[in-house]
Amino acid sequence: MRLHPLTSLAFAGSTAVITTAAASWPVSLAVGAGALGLSAAGGTARRLVPAAAAVLVPLGLSLLIVHGLSFPEGRTVLAQFGPARVTAEGLAFAGERAAQLSAAVLALLVFSFSVNVPDLVAALASRGVHGRFGFVLASTLTLLPAITAQAGRIRQAQESRGLVIRRGLLHKVAAFRLQAIPLVLSLVEDAGTRAAALEARGFSSPGPRTSYREVPDSAIQRLLRMLLLAAAAAAVVWRLWLAGTGG
Amino acid sequence: MPYSAEPVMAAGIREFTFHDGGGPVLQGLDVAVAPGSLMAVLGTSGSGKTTLGRLLAGWLPPGPGGNLIGFLELTGTRLQFNGDAGDPRIDPAQWGRQVGFVPQDAGAVLSTVRATVAEELAFGLENSAVGRTAMVAAVEQTAGLLGLRNLLGRHPARLSGGQLRRLAIGCAIITRPPVLIMDEPFASLDAAGARELGDLVRGLVKAGTAVVILSQMVDGVLREADNWIVLADGTVKASGTPAALEAGSPAVLAGIRRIKDGPSPGGVAPVPRSAGHSAPALELRGVSFGYRKDGRPARQGFTWQRRQGSRTTDNQSTVLQGIDLAVHPGEIVAVTGPNGAGKSTLLRHFNGLLRPTTGTVLVQGEDISGKPVGSTAAAVGLLFQHPREQLFERTALREVRFGLDRLFGQDEAGERASAALAAVGLSAAAHEQPAELPASRQRLLALATVLARKPAVLALDEPTVALDGDGLAVLDAAVRSAAAEGAAVVLVTHDLGYARSAAHRTIALDAGRLAEA
Repeated sequence: MRLHPLTSLAFAGSTAVITTAAASWPVSLAVGAGALGLSAAGGTARRLVPAAAAVLVPLGLSLLIVHGLSFPEGRTVLAQFGPARVTAEGLAFAGERAAQLSAAVLALLVFSFSVNVPDLVAALASRGVHGRFGFVLASTLTLLPAITAQAGRIRQAQESRGLVIRRGLLHKVAAFRLQAIPLVLSLVEDAGTRAAALEARGFSSPGPRTSYREVPDSAIQRLLRMLLLAAAAAAVVWRLWLAGTGG
Repeated sequence: MPYSAEPVMAAGIREFTFHDGGGPVLQGLDVAVAPGSLMAVLGTSGSGKTTLGRLLAGWLPPGPGGNLIGFLELTGTRLQFNGDAGDPRIDPAQWGRQVGFVPQDAGAVLSTVRATVAEELAFGLENSAVGRTAMVAAVEQTAGLLGLRNLLGRHPARLSGGQLRRLAIGCAIITRPPVLIMDEPFASLDAAGARELGDLVRGLVKAGTAVVILSQMVDGVLREADNWIVLADGTVKASGTPAALEAGSPAVLAGIRRIKDGPSPGGVAPVPRSAGHSAPALELRGVSFGYRKDGRPARQGFTWQRRQGSRTTDNQSTVLQGIDLAVHPGEIVAVTGPNGAGKSTLLRHFNGLLRPTTGTVLVQGEDISGKPVGSTAAAVGLLFQHPREQLFERTALREVRFGLDRLFGQDEAGERASAALAAVGLSAAAHEQPAELPASRQRLLALATVLARKPAVLALDEPTVALDGDGLAVLDAAVRSAAAEGAAVVLVTHDLGYARSAAHRTIALDAGRLAEA
């Protein structure tokens, strides 16, 4: 069965919420591993892992510094540097939070790397979400490839005129410096023409819209989405109730 | 024949200026278009055609787009503009329902967020809330008209230049506007594509659409137009029926290319040089190339197919097959072939922008595999098919100078840059922004960037596209003088007439293979 984009969004969203609410090591690890597995099966792991690392490594490190080094409730001191104490409890807390966060981030990334953007935009449009919002959403996901392609074309033009780009990150960064200004200029110019074209094609007209693309949906998927949302809401209520009773 | 009806669109432009403080771009210009008629607005590059087209199409609305004194009239409603705050405002969407516009850069009309040709066609209908059944029927019908039926499921980014233009026309006519304006629609179309477009225009006119074509070239269907308007310096130089203007003073149509006359100002093909005696400046030996299914080049050493020792498989689409080619110093070789035959792909092998899947490319006897493109570029000058992809600097002079300093030192670089600009007649535009030059001058500027290096191999991709008559003469002179100075020239073109008149020999590229034509 092909999942409706809103069903996969509901899956990812409720998974993130429930994992956060559960605040349990095994649940977080299982969800994280599951997300990685799904991504590998879907062939998106290669793009997902670097993106996840870019988000999670700095967050994980900051958690470790904040909680690992100064955790007031910590009793088992493992090491001490002046006022900073590394405690077993602090490390455990930081680890738990990092695992929780990783699970939530991975679940959402699996969704964003696997979702069919045109399907998502069409699904939102058919639910009355304004075309402009759908366009912005779609653009955020198509913009990076478009910019990369344009930068590539400029680089080829410059190489054809004698720019030698040697191997290695530093050389590439130095070469990109030359491409930055033309890139921005050409993007601005493109945006101007495209804006005129979009206006002329009625993109900003008020009023209802229809969608050419049909996104298959089913009663089961609609029911599933309701259940997922209900489960997420229940998890939040449960968590708040626990906090209220001091649990 | 035009109906004796009231014009569906008219304009009386006393003066139109941009907000940049410059002089009027258009002045003293009256246009009226009747339903079911074809009008051609002819003029050389920079004559004001594109500005007029965008103004009529609502893409350059008076007020935000510039200052208009005069009137615009559409389906019986006249809007008067005095160039002040009390002027009416044009709603581009409302205007767009009545006037379809296809800009010169066809790719610019795409929404970029639709995943298939069919959805891109439907975009305008979606925005006016047309029901799905009607939308599907309209998409089918428009695709049929434009020969896009087999491409409905394809991603718009994967279309060839000719296909993209047809899609842009489809996007403009799917809402059935009573007026259709097209800016240089024949540029970059091969002979078959131009014929099909001619048939489409005839069909639209017959069905009652008023079609306006802006062009710097007279070709095919334009000779059947009900009237021509010749623009020069933003004003009407002459107007009348094609027969009357062609029979009149030749000065009126000066600078406008007329395909019937033979496209080359040089006329006769140059005498072949005794090329066989010297070593080739460029040699391709058994070059094959294919793209993988994901659109990436299947590069040497990277494809698992190669390691398995198999030839191209289903995972790879072959563009070039076993190409052998030797071009000697002083020789001009034209490579012709239909849109999408792989001509540009072939040229990109000359400096290593693309690497062959199998086979070798030698420049001045040296294998270029493993050499960075930037190093090979000292000997190979490549003129891209789309000048906009080649121009990236802030001024024309900086553009030509890019990379010259390193090769020749400060002083000589400056001299060479100025000389190259002068050779293409752009000395006066040295400090202009390349992106703002008209298309014809952009191509000449791109040509100057190549000529300034005096490369041993000159590779030109569709150099005649978007050039007006004067531009073509400049190109022709530049190609001949480069060859006379010993450069090996390869030019890829679908313009058979130009190929025959300019080249010592013509080779056809079809289905990935080369054959002497």
